[in-house]
Amino acid sequence: MLRMLAAAVLAAAIPGAAPAQDAHRGAELARQTCLMCHGENGRSQTEDIPSLAGQPADFITLQMILFREGTRQVPVMNEFAAHMPDKDIEDLAAFFASLPPGPPDDRRARDAALYAAGQALVGPRNCGVCHVSDFGGRAQIPRIAAQREEFLARSMMEYRDGRRAGADTQMNGAVVGLSDADIAALAHFLAQQD
Amino acid sequence: MNTKRLLLGMAAALIVGPALAQQPAPAVPGWAVGRPEGSTLAPHGPTLTVTPVDRLPVAALRLPEGFSAAVFAHGIPGARAMAEGPNGTIFAGSRVIGRVYAITRNADGSTRTRVIAQGLNNPNGIVMAGNNLYVLALNRVLRFDNIEANLDNVPAPVELTQAFGLPGEADHGGNHFWKVASLGPDNRIYTNVGAPCNICSVDRDRFALLVSFNLDGSDRRIEARGVRNSVGLAHHPVTRELWATNHGRDWAGNDTPQDTLIRVRRSGEDHGYPFCVGSWADPQENAGRNCGEFAQPAALLGGHTAPIGMRFYTGTMFPEQYRNQAFIALRGSWNREQLSGYDVVVAKLDAQGNVTGVEPFMTGLRDDANQRFLGRPVDVQVLRDGSMLVADEQMGAIYRITYRQ
Repeated sequence: MLRMLAAAVLAAAIPGAAPAQDAHRGAELARQTCLMCHGENGRSQTEDIPSLAGQPADFITLQMILFREGTRQVPVMNEFAAHMPDKDIEDLAAFFASLPPGPPDDRRARDAALYAAGQALVGPRNCGVCHVSDFGGRAQIPRIAAQREEFLARSMMEYRDGRRAGADTQMNGAVVGLSDADIAALAHFLAQQD
Repeated sequence: MNTKRLLLGMAAALIVGPALAQQPAPAVPGWAVGRPEGSTLAPHGPTLTVTPVDRLPVAALRLPEGFSAAVFAHGIPGARAMAEGPNGTIFAGSRVIGRVYAITRNADGSTRTRVIAQGLNNPNGIVMAGNNLYVLALNRVLRFDNIEANLDNVPAPVELTQAFGLPGEADHGGNHFWKVASLGPDNRIYTNVGAPCNICSVDRDRFALLVSFNLDGSDRRIEARGVRNSVGLAHHPVTRELWATNHGRDWAGNDTPQDTLIRVRRSGEDHGYPFCVGSWADPQENAGRNCGEFAQPAALLGGHTAPIGMRFYTGTMFPEQYRNQAFIALRGSWNREQLSGYDVVVAKLDAQGNVTGVEPFMTGLRDDANQRFLGRPVDVQVLRDGSMLVADEQMGAIYRITYRQ
């Protein structure tokens, strides 16, 4: 754990990597509030709570602001983010972005049929256009590879059912008309990516 | 997959093209119809943290001879549509950050910003009627009475959501739900209802409209039909006609269809969505319609330039040639291989109200060599002294443009 943190701090200390953000300070903040639920190494071992390791810093910053402002409703997160200064949010984002991503320890074994069904949907739904072909995300668009499967499924249902919106409406459009079974297949396929 | 789904999928594939028709694929969602294989275009993310004043791109701004730009207000993330109160307060709405700002000027010329409402769903429709501020969010219409006298202790707003009865979140399916609002010379509130998709056939009495209401939300009137996504409205100061900006659909080419400036000559006239944009027939949704049967755009503004807020220049500080000309903020493209827009342009009108040309006015935010942008202009507002404000949503700042001979 400590070694991992040290590595993250080193990565962020490379000149020019992220001049305005302080991943070291972010690590301190994260230890106090975030890691209990989101996992000591940023990989969540808790059902329904997403992994944050390796998420793009812009994505974490944006979502934390939506939590702070109450325009994305997740009561526990709204409470943590309330009145949080921009600087804390940006430092936390730099910290999580610096952690190496990976699957949760309890990732279930691949179900070949479900995986294939998900794979068949990824192309027509253009997931890789925004999330990039390895599903690692970019800028305000999250990493979805190796994310917790049940969290991916819930997020897609929230977008589909109009219970969540991002900075723009692309995700609402991307999942329109998907059945619960389609979403389960997509979530399984994406959770299996590394 | 049941038979009905298969048939739907095949029908969609046939529309898209022969390559996809060879094997039944899941139906392509409406927003992605026409998207080229392998495209990586995606909307640019917003910046919703405070940008330090020394990082604002004001030195990069380019204006015609005699004009200069300075920072009017900063530290206002996501600031977008503006309105001015009778005592000179500038109100600014926003989209995803959910705030409404009030910006007042101090005696020394600096500004003070207050957040007067927050946690709203895309409160971008901002309009003053007398001393009252109306805020149109996706799912709500609120009226803040006598707002300028209560900036430090904003009372609970009057809820007008039911009275206006605008489509809500579920109706829009997450598409084009943001509002813009303007007060007409007839003392009615004018606003937009965007299309609930990129391109699709819609209930043309409910969506893709410009509409107006009495101040209490009664007497809804359709001002223009077939307007895909307008986020800028203004009435011509002389002819009193309604003008609006309008965004063309995505995924139909870098330069087609063009975004447009529209002029509503007759209340209720039809501007063609989803069938046509000007003389351009939509490749998926034209449905055999002759584009000549629809109102033609007053001006073409380029592919994906994203015209947002517009105002006619009614001041006297700028040279006479700018009087009653339409200033338009172009937020800039994402659905295009090379960036376009990111400027403020001026549409030149002749005495009959015909557009004779569209010229750049404020440029410098689009860096063509590096294919990046330094800011995103989203609204213009003419102040009583004749200077002009330009809101930069990406930088959370408002610039003020002045002219000196």
